[in-house]
Amino acid sequence: MFDINETWWGDQRLINIAGVSKSYNKGSVKAVDNLNLHIGPGEIFGFLGPNGAGKTTTIKMMVGLLNPDCGRISIKGFDIAENPLEAKRQLGYVPDNPDVYERLTGLEYLNFLGDVYNVPGKLRKDRMSELLDMFELKNAAPDLIKSYSHGMKQKIVLIGALLHDPSVWILDEPMVGLDPRSSHLLKEYMRSHCDKGNSVFFSTHILEVAEKLCDRIGIIHHGKLIAIGTLEQLRQGEAAESLENIFLELTEK
Amino acid sequence: MKPFFSLLKISLDSNFGISALKFRFTREKKKLWEPMLIIFSIILGLGSILALYSLLLTGVFAAGKSIGHPDVILILSFVFTQFIILFFGAFYVMGAFYFSKDFGILVPLPLKPYEVLGTKFLTVMCNEYITALPLMLPPILIYGIGMGQGFLYWVKGILLTLAVPSIPLAVGSLFVITLMRFVNLRRSKDLLAIVGGTLGLILAVSINILVQGLPKGNEADFLKNLLQSRTGLIDEIGRKFPPAIWATIGLSDPGASGWLNFLLFIAVSVLLFAFFLWLGNLIFYKGLLAGQETSSGKAGRISRKAAEIFGDETAAMTANSPVKALFIKEWRLLMRTPIYFLNGFMGNIIGPIIVIILFVVQRQSSSDTVQILQFIKDPSLIKYVTLGGLGFILFVAGMNTAASTTLSREGSTFWISKLIPVSAENQVLAKFFHGFAISSVGIVVTVAIMAIFIKLEMLRVAVVFVLGLVGAVSLVCVNMLFDVFHPKLIWTNPQEAIKQNMNALLGMAASLILVAFFAAATVALILLGASELLTYCGLAVIMGVAGAVSLKCLMIMASRKYRSLEA
Repeated sequence: MFDINETWWGDQRLINIAGVSKSYNKGSVKAVDNLNLHIGPGEIFGFLGPNGAGKTTTIKMMVGLLNPDCGRISIKGFDIAENPLEAKRQLGYVPDNPDVYERLTGLEYLNFLGDVYNVPGKLRKDRMSELLDMFELKNAAPDLIKSYSHGMKQKIVLIGALLHDPSVWILDEPMVGLDPRSSHLLKEYMRSHCDKGNSVFFSTHILEVAEKLCDRIGIIHHGKLIAIGTLEQLRQGEAAESLENIFLELTEK
Repeated sequence: MKPFFSLLKISLDSNFGISALKFRFTREKKKLWEPMLIIFSIILGLGSILALYSLLLTGVFAAGKSIGHPDVILILSFVFTQFIILFFGAFYVMGAFYFSKDFGILVPLPLKPYEVLGTKFLTVMCNEYITALPLMLPPILIYGIGMGQGFLYWVKGILLTLAVPSIPLAVGSLFVITLMRFVNLRRSKDLLAIVGGTLGLILAVSINILVQGLPKGNEADFLKNLLQSRTGLIDEIGRKFPPAIWATIGLSDPGASGWLNFLLFIAVSVLLFAFFLWLGNLIFYKGLLAGQETSSGKAGRISRKAAEIFGDETAAMTANSPVKALFIKEWRLLMRTPIYFLNGFMGNIIGPIIVIILFVVQRQSSSDTVQILQFIKDPSLIKYVTLGGLGFILFVAGMNTAASTTLSREGSTFWISKLIPVSAENQVLAKFFHGFAISSVGIVVTVAIMAIFIKLEMLRVAVVFVLGLVGAVSLVCVNMLFDVFHPKLIWTNPQEAIKQNMNALLGMAASLILVAFFAAATVALILLGASELLTYCGLAVIMGVAGAVSLKCLMIMASRKYRSLEA
């Protein structure tokens, strides 16, 4: 186990998760168990774990979709339970399943988000144009989302999440459904976003991506954080060991 | 056959939420009071309607028996039930066969189209029992007890009741799958659903007019003649809908003829179902899969539409306030989803339109209308006519399923509402404005009808309009209260969110109680000797206070529920 406080940013945490637990079925299933996690500026944090380990539950608590049984979560200093609106303004969230308003057009959906996040008209248009271009969705934007493929829906949700230029990105399996080009662009975009002092928290099953992209990695298993640190720290000196091997060893039981 | 039955089991399970209920009863016992309250309300509501229905049927049975034709009650019940199922079943079938989300899972499975179609059909049929059982069991009980029927009657009675939805549903389904085979675009399907739904409403109105128009003043003679000659009656209905006759004779005649008719009814039910499966196997998937292909935006050259929007670099997007943006979203989603549009919007304006048609048709022949017109023009009665009109307007405003299913309709997209940085109060406020706008459309149509056909003077029209709007505030709020308190967010077919949603019924019941309360307050004001002006003012104050209180309650409920609801 690594010391989670072994970081240089001290109290400048963008994401702070302290003692968070969540159980289902009257406590019989503990989805997340006393989770403590801090993410600092400039950091891409990869959240790994087997299916059903508690990744999505953690993410949903971070963005306010689920209420933790105990513990505190704050985004850029705003507590998600006490000051939810301010906390939500600081983050952009992409769920693992792109369930969006299918009877709106892509543009209407983005404009709706622009309105609720108070993105001014000119800035909104510029960002929309840039993001739609980037993910090659500009031509499909005036069509109903109902007509989009799964990947296109994933992209429109992603664009919607980034439209208000949040400093904290929280992405649940963002690469799933994206074509290789879009996936590559997203990875580059994540890096440049963090280089500006922001942070990205994302869950993934693609260990290669985590290995190449993440500044730090956390592995959750049965609701508990069983390992956290840089790839070097996780390797514990054995430089040749791959993340896959580390993951398999740690989540064996 | 094994995959067929597994599929049927799963389909019924998800349709009636059996696993979800089991989970609720075994794991989440703390929240048990919520379903209990709903079940209790259903029993109470259904019980009172059933009591009234049974009372009416007992009358029909007694009348039939007195002229020697007690089986009239059975014929009428079979005809009525099957007609209701044919009419509503066609819509259920349309939703279940073509707008259901689970086809994405079902189509790739190694199942024959008829197996998928068969399970869908049987699931719809089970849904129809919710309509068929309360309609069929009372007449069968009343006739059986009244005539002292034996054991075989009850066996046949149960079998016929179970078979009752089959014929009308198969006829409706055959019509729907044939039609859908030839209309092969998704957008046209939406249009078709709206056109079909509107035609259905027109059909309902036409039947209403026919029922009212046919006997032309000598209903009693008509009914007497009809009841007095058993063969005449049987011929009349038999020519139009023979299965009702087979079922009636099959049930009431214990002899060979009875058994023959009974078997004929069952055989035709089975044959129609088989024919439907055979035809469905040939054409169903073609209709279902047509037009589902998507066109992604082609890379490279930018489309004209996109160029128009993004071409001018200096122009800005129009920014709206969050509440306005939420309102626009609600409006678009309701108007663009056929099943929501039909039930949430058209339903609200169809009431007043029925009145127009009845008025126009009856005006041509009936002297009643002239009398009514003279009655409502009587200066001493004009106050009551105005208040009666207001009552009707409030009734129309209260029948607002757009408001009573407002949160349920979000379904799997509810996470967006939880995520956006807009307070629960503002989100529900936008929903309130939306519900209020829908009610207002109903009010405008109704007031316009009153102004044109009753020729109510403009000042009174204005009074009714303003009071209608004031009253609508509390009506929209009580409709929304149930849905915000206990939204039905888990569904696979939008139909479940609006038509199979108990909150819609609870909302209507609460609105009726509220309208009754306003009516009682009006009567009290008049009895206390209030002048016309004072009555209107008093009513405005009472409805205004009710509106403010209910809006406040709604906001308190919203802030609590949005926090506790998880997505």
